[in-house]
Amino acid sequence: MHDISAAITTRFRVAATGCIIGLLVVAVAPWLLDTYLTNILIRTLFLATVVMTVDILWGSVGILTFGQSAFFGIGAYACGLIFTHYGFGPGWALAGLALGIGVAAVVAAATGWLAFFHGSSPLYASIITLALPIVLTQVIFSGGNFTGSSSGLSGFPTYYWDLRIWFWTAGTFLVLTTTAAWLLVRSDFGRVMVAIRENEERCAYLGIPVSRIKIMLMIASAVIASAAGFGYAAFSNVVAPELASFQLGTEFLIWTALGGRGTLLGPIFAALGIDTMSSWLSGTMPFLWKLLIGVVFVAVIVLLPRGFAPLVGGLFRRILPVRTAGAPARVLVPDTRSRLGQGADDQKPPLRIEHLSRRYGSLSVLTDVTMTGRASHLLGIIGPNGAGKTTLMRCISDGSERSGGKVEINGAEIGRGAPQDIVALGVGRSFQNTNLFDTLTVADCLLLARYRIDGARLFRSSVGIALPEPALDILRATGLDQRLADETGNLSHGMKRGLELAMVLATEPSVLLLDEPTAGLTRPERMVIGKVLGRLTRDYGLCIVLIEHDLDFVREISDRVVVLHQGSILMEGTVDEVVSSELVRSVYAGHHVEAAQ
Amino acid sequence: MAILVLDILTTAAILFAVSAGLLIILGVMKLINFAHGAFLTVGGYMAYLNGAAGLSPWLSIPLAAGVGFLGGLVIERVIVRPLYDRPLDAILATWGLGIVIGQLITLGFGRGVQFAPNPISGTTELFGVDYSAYRLAVAVIAVLLVVALSALLKLTRFGLNARAVIMNERLARGLGIDSTRVRALTFGLGAALACAAGALITPLISVDPNMGLPWLVNSFMLVMVAGVSFPSLLVASLILGGAQVVVSTYANPILGGMTIVVAAALVLRISPKGFSRA
Repeated sequence: MHDISAAITTRFRVAATGCIIGLLVVAVAPWLLDTYLTNILIRTLFLATVVMTVDILWGSVGILTFGQSAFFGIGAYACGLIFTHYGFGPGWALAGLALGIGVAAVVAAATGWLAFFHGSSPLYASIITLALPIVLTQVIFSGGNFTGSSSGLSGFPTYYWDLRIWFWTAGTFLVLTTTAAWLLVRSDFGRVMVAIRENEERCAYLGIPVSRIKIMLMIASAVIASAAGFGYAAFSNVVAPELASFQLGTEFLIWTALGGRGTLLGPIFAALGIDTMSSWLSGTMPFLWKLLIGVVFVAVIVLLPRGFAPLVGGLFRRILPVRTAGAPARVLVPDTRSRLGQGADDQKPPLRIEHLSRRYGSLSVLTDVTMTGRASHLLGIIGPNGAGKTTLMRCISDGSERSGGKVEINGAEIGRGAPQDIVALGVGRSFQNTNLFDTLTVADCLLLARYRIDGARLFRSSVGIALPEPALDILRATGLDQRLADETGNLSHGMKRGLELAMVLATEPSVLLLDEPTAGLTRPERMVIGKVLGRLTRDYGLCIVLIEHDLDFVREISDRVVVLHQGSILMEGTVDEVVSSELVRSVYAGHHVEAAQ
Repeated sequence: MAILVLDILTTAAILFAVSAGLLIILGVMKLINFAHGAFLTVGGYMAYLNGAAGLSPWLSIPLAAGVGFLGGLVIERVIVRPLYDRPLDAILATWGLGIVIGQLITLGFGRGVQFAPNPISGTTELFGVDYSAYRLAVAVIAVLLVVALSALLKLTRFGLNARAVIMNERLARGLGIDSTRVRALTFGLGAALACAAGALITPLISVDPNMGLPWLVNSFMLVMVAGVSFPSLLVASLILGGAQVVVSTYANPILGGMTIVVAAALVLRISPKGFSRA
């Protein structure tokens, strides 16, 4: 326990040190810089804060946003409009800031609602973020004298503070928001963000509300960008439609890419460097400078997808080898409040499917499937390839899949719910292909699986991961409990299968859908899984639905078997009834069914 | 009323011509070419140069197409090919390319506005109204373009290969189709179409280094809504372009300018596949 809390304190110490160094630099800098450079840097510091939020969205969560400039512009116009048309003073300034932040949050929420829903593609989200600044600039253009149309607003009263005070304000804002962001991306919640970037689909099936998380992050970064825009406008005393334009939005992306996406500090330094240089050089060679930036940008995207930060970081580490404050070691603890198997009731079947059908155009994959899964029962689903077994699983675990019929989980209809809603009803699903997050560690994966139940801490890491007993059993039996800090990409196939099953169990389902959980496993590994499944039905009262090709395995562990053939139920019965059936044998052997009858 | 109908039809035709190059690249290569706007600009400057050299204005379109094709092949080889498996990065890289092209043009021609000569000036009488003859000619050319592109995809060997790559690239490769070559030719074709479209629309508007940008955004939206077929691009151009004309005429032109963007975003929210199923 000791070295774990030490690792976490180390992280806070690093954050605090970085924060203090940053603040010191900000405090001293204006004494060393000339007026011209200070002037430029104040604007750039505000812009760098926005770039930092772009890096959170794009680098950490994978939302390629062209629209962060819109929120910057909203903050800037809140300042310009209030000071021009309504009044000036501390009260008005606070009101303007609050207005800018409020409007930005509402717009971000609306944009997020449009852009993120189950099944939306990353490209579509980018389209929406592209549309946002375009629409906003058109609104500004049509505002006439109120918004100043294409020439914007200028000369409104503002605080003509000493340059140093402005510099300190902008610098402190940047350092503090960046420190918070740095802690955020390294916290447990930061792991969830990375998981969403790596494999959104899988996150949804672990019960993580992907869209809601994205919308929340969008709102948070909009608030920061809007505050930065307010400061920028108050300092520069000019607001123009360019501040909200999508050209500025793409410029933010360029700086982020050049600095190194996902590194947080890289984009900030890139923004500071490039924007300062631009102001300097654009006087002497405006077009050539922009041309150069364009060429470097294209080259970096093609040749150095992670930007310059890893290069600089590697150089730094070579000169100054420091102990990396890596992920803190974690421990597994039994979940004492586990509700796994608590709700099992022999009378009420947890899974009830009625007249389920699935069509793709004119092709009918499932027709009129009606079946019931009881608590403490293991239902095997067998059938030749193309019988619709996996499609059936998909229709149970994603409400938008089926074409007709009803699916009830624990008495609640799934309706058109997204996977995470259905996980909340009590469904856990494992996949046919091991479908993990390659760059995350075993412990991170388990943490993700617990998100729905335990949440994730925003700026910290927790040490213990509470897991229900059967999940721990699997981890122990496969030796995974000794490899918690390993990346899942390096695990053997059997271990991946074990981890996958442990993750699904960690979500504490009452209906467990397993798609060929033993495919590609050795005989001893199969025995382990078989034993765990037996215990889950016996001791925890789970309803397990299992797709399996290995009839011997099915015979060993199943209570009842359903035979699917060409999308409908051919037969349902006990294992022996099914195995001895002529009908089933003929389907598997390929004879005509009619002949067998 | 006749003017409104003609406005809608010609606007749709122009939008179609401008978006076709973007669509073919998205369809075959599954990537969005954000340099499309810059290609349009290059086409515009080809028309301007062509006019300055005193050649027949009609020549500017094939000339621009040729330059676009060759340029497209080079760009595909150097920039686009390494990014096939990183589609979001390809958007950024082509956007950066657009900046580079824009700056090169600025360096060469300055930031000022130029004009290209119009091959057909004046108006024609149609349905009892006088209407710009060149807009009507553009509409006719766009219709010919639909026919030619559909024929290219449906009737030629290249079209068959391209359709195979669109449907299932791995299978197509397994059958011995050189998908790399198909992609290269497609990018060249897309760039050629973009440049030709730039030359085509230039007599209607003026030429400046940023002329492609508003067209890029609109054609991007249209292509997203249309999916990957030329007929549905035509439908999308008619509906969304029509909406733009109606809003511009009866509300105001600024709202009209964002009609396509907003309408496309909403259509995609309701039906993520856009019009491609229709």
